[in-house]
Amino acid sequence: MDASALARFEAVVLPHLDAAYTLARYLTRNAHDAEDVVQDACLRALKYFEGFRGDAGTSARAWLLAIVRNTAHTWRGRHRGDALATEFDEAQHSDAVADDNPEGVLLQKAAKETLDRALERLAPEFREVIVLRELEGLSYKEISDVAGVPVGTVMSRLSRARARLQDALRKEEGS
Amino acid sequence: MTHPGFEAQLDAYLDGELAAVDAGELEAHLAQCAECARFRDGRLALRAAIKARIPAFQAPDTLRQRVRASLRTAASSSAPRRISLAGWWRPLAMAASLAVVAIGSWNLALQRAAGSALADDVLASHIRSLMPGHLTDVLSSDQHTVKPWFNGRLDYSPPVYDFAARGYPLLGGRLDYVDGRAVAALTYGRRQHLINVFLWPAARGPSAAPKTRDRQGYHLLHWTTADYTYWVVSDLGLAELHDFAQMLQQADSLAR
Repeated sequence: MDASALARFEAVVLPHLDAAYTLARYLTRNAHDAEDVVQDACLRALKYFEGFRGDAGTSARAWLLAIVRNTAHTWRGRHRGDALATEFDEAQHSDAVADDNPEGVLLQKAAKETLDRALERLAPEFREVIVLRELEGLSYKEISDVAGVPVGTVMSRLSRARARLQDALRKEEGS
Repeated sequence: MTHPGFEAQLDAYLDGELAAVDAGELEAHLAQCAECARFRDGRLALRAAIKARIPAFQAPDTLRQRVRASLRTAASSSAPRRISLAGWWRPLAMAASLAVVAIGSWNLALQRAAGSALADDVLASHIRSLMPGHLTDVLSSDQHTVKPWFNGRLDYSPPVYDFAARGYPLLGGRLDYVDGRAVAALTYGRRQHLINVFLWPAARGPSAAPKTRDRQGYHLLHWTTADYTYWVVSDLGLAELHDFAQMLQQADSLAR
């Protein structure tokens, strides 16, 4: 790759570094890991850059975020081996969110439920749609591209995740 | 909430993602349903709380520097060495640029040859896929299983359709390597025949009708949509393969 191609890459991609870092922060829940994920994702993006066509309806931002998202999921599989390293099971995780009934959690946790804690505890597939929508301002279509799920799924995940956060907020205000 | 089906719709409405017609209906409903109006107010409060308390982050300067440095390293390690055009190289460079002008007229012929090399590539991948154990990496007739499987394996998310109802069931997908890049390959069945569909993001604008090539008893169809370059290979009869290609094109144009 010559210097001008690198310069083009930097001009297109680096303006979205804050967005990339924000997504990585919420997916890894850790500042240090988020930096590693972002760096790794940028290197991957550089490798794929020739395949990226800005005119195909994908914004550079959504494109980079998709790579960050995939990098974070791979990272989680490697470092934590937690729930979502394996294939995501819509039904199972929907239940996980639905069953996570706030009263039970509150009794069990005695500690005060806060909005940010509720967000952290969402399953990653639900957390990411909230971050992509509320913090990154992506459209449903863009979120669908980033997360690789149909728009209908984006819609229902967002709604479920919000219901969960809303419960947390209510509890917080009520306590 | 007595209208559970409404929640996701209401969220979509508040996100400005609902079609105008549906949004109109919803607004009419909101005006007369206190419960749904309460739900909306709750969501607006949640949105405000998220805005106020869930921060977006700024990438630290150290990260910015680290990323730049690693990009430089990665870019220079993959770059061919550049030869300086100083001194006595100049006349040679001039001669070379004259040669480029002369070669220009060969471009068309070269492009045709490149298309032919690509067809060879696609056919080789098709034949390789017919060897035992090579057909699919993800074995599923469910398009919603196959499509996400590509996620993280490719830098694009290929459209996946199932035409089982029309006699061309989806059998699965795999990663393949064509034209110097990793591409999505989808496998469909038609009676005892197999059809491989290769697709990757298009470099050029859409082409009209599929072009046909015949190689070693196989048919290859090739076309380009606004988004993807398609190659379809099979030993299936040409008429049926054209039918299949048409289904794909229709599905694509509906999905847009």
